[in-house]
Amino acid sequence: MPHENNLTVALQPHVSGPRLLVVAGDLDHHTTPHLRRALEEIEFGPGADLVIDLSGLTFCDSTGIATLVAAHQRANDARGALLLAGLDQDIARVFQIMGLDRLLAFYDSPEEAVRALSG
Amino acid sequence: MRRKEPEVSTVDEAPGRPMPLASAVEAVEAGRLAAVRRYAALDTTSGAAFDRVATLAARIFHAPFASVTIAGDDTVRVVAAHGPPPRSALLDGLCAAAVRHGGPHVVDDLLRDPRAAGDPVVRGEPGIRFYAAAVITTADGEALGSVNVMDVRPREAGDEELACLRDLAALVMDELEIRLAAHRTVEVERELRAGAERLARTLQRTLLPPALPRVPGLRAAAAYHPVSADEVGGDFYDLFPLDGDRWGFFLGDVCGKGAGAAALTSLVRYTLRAAAVYDADPHAVLANLDAVLQQEHAGGDAPAPYCTAVFGVLQPDGDGFGVTLATGGHPPALAVRADGTVEPIHPAGGQLIGILRDPHFAQVSARLNAGDALLLYTDGLTEARTPTGSMLDEDGLTAHLAAAGPTSADALLTTVHDLITALGRGVSDDTAVLALSVPPITRTPSSGSLGAA
Repeated sequence: MPHENNLTVALQPHVSGPRLLVVAGDLDHHTTPHLRRALEEIEFGPGADLVIDLSGLTFCDSTGIATLVAAHQRANDARGALLLAGLDQDIARVFQIMGLDRLLAFYDSPEEAVRALSG
Repeated sequence: MRRKEPEVSTVDEAPGRPMPLASAVEAVEAGRLAAVRRYAALDTTSGAAFDRVATLAARIFHAPFASVTIAGDDTVRVVAAHGPPPRSALLDGLCAAAVRHGGPHVVDDLLRDPRAAGDPVVRGEPGIRFYAAAVITTADGEALGSVNVMDVRPREAGDEELACLRDLAALVMDELEIRLAAHRTVEVERELRAGAERLARTLQRTLLPPALPRVPGLRAAAAYHPVSADEVGGDFYDLFPLDGDRWGFFLGDVCGKGAGAAALTSLVRYTLRAAAVYDADPHAVLANLDAVLQQEHAGGDAPAPYCTAVFGVLQPDGDGFGVTLATGGHPPALAVRADGTVEPIHPAGGQLIGILRDPHFAQVSARLNAGDALLLYTDGLTEARTPTGSMLDEDGLTAHLAAAGPTSADALLTTVHDLITALGRGVSDDTAVLALSVPPITRTPSSGSLGAA
């Protein structure tokens, strides 16, 4: 099946609370470098957290997964948090089979993820 | 350097009509035609550069007509034209004659040549009288064609004009050489890419066992369903003897596609075989593979290589086998029991291999009794889209296997093959399948009395 949806990545800085990165489209080996560059520019630290809104994500291949895992590890090292929100049911299922649900925190919506961080 | 004495000749043979050729001339012509064919493969139709050459040639001679032509074995192809001049056998013959002569070719007045004077384009409209050509010649001296100028008044060609015409012919040759070089670069690149893909496919095939070994008391069958002939996936499986009467088996999927995935598959496969010799405990085997992949990546800029896999050990036990299975981020193995029920044999929580810090690999033990079968598969199958657009998933596969009822390794493979065929374009990734089954006990009621006879 061809994956023809382009990837868009937009960072929405918040005055208070975590930053929100909105990722939409197909995450594959062509488009993943775009997300990787965006993630590399984000500094993590205690209280410097990131919520990635994936509700517009239509496809995620192995390179996309590797990039999300790498960003999560970087956030962890810096004692920051990286939360995923709005994952499509099928992609969430694939992440779960890969055992990523033990590693990454999934939330239904960005709002819910933000609440989890402030709670 | 400029040739001082242009070869001025009249039309020395009837144009457009073949003349008898000596074999030596034929050999020369064969060499020339080979050169023509070499450049003929090029697209000269989109030739703004050639059009400019024709226009410039006409302007230099203050003549109404000019053309750039390539002489084939019996046709003259007009690559670019200014005017344009009428198509005529006479003009084609002049172009062909210029190529045969090799040097500049000038006819001051066609009307004074009895063989040309009667031609419609000379006698009638547009009344062409003057013809001059410079030959387009390759670096190794083969004449391909000519840059031609035609005027409607008789005249002489000046040295300066002919020198310009020769320069224009040389420009055409330069342009053809550039196009040939570009064409060859594209061809070479295409061949290299095709070669690399072929190599990757061959490598991928060598990574799958050509035939599964015969395991006493067990049926085993495997298949690989590629989704594309052009792109190599990274699915792998194997079944091999361990110490004593134990057997090891695995099936998995490396990240990525193409040659890189094939190389990673090779590393994963041989690491699994070697790790199993060292310590066949499935959990330990996956932990060893994880350590090797993590080291492979250490310090590299490339994306981290990782895989998902199921690794199992079979131990004969009574009528069947004990199975110990560990998984790392892989979809559940499914057991089809002798009564037709389907159940996952899946330790919860196994994670991706090679990419995570302190990954968790889970292990579970089960039994395969007489009549039971076990199916291992890669996610190309469960992530396939059904006609409704939803993912087949483990539930869809389970329902399909349950509908097929009690089975054997070979029948399981057929069931999966039929399912993949039915899903058609819904399947977007390669699928590897490994099926194991314990034959049902076949009771022969009369065996006791036969034994006593």
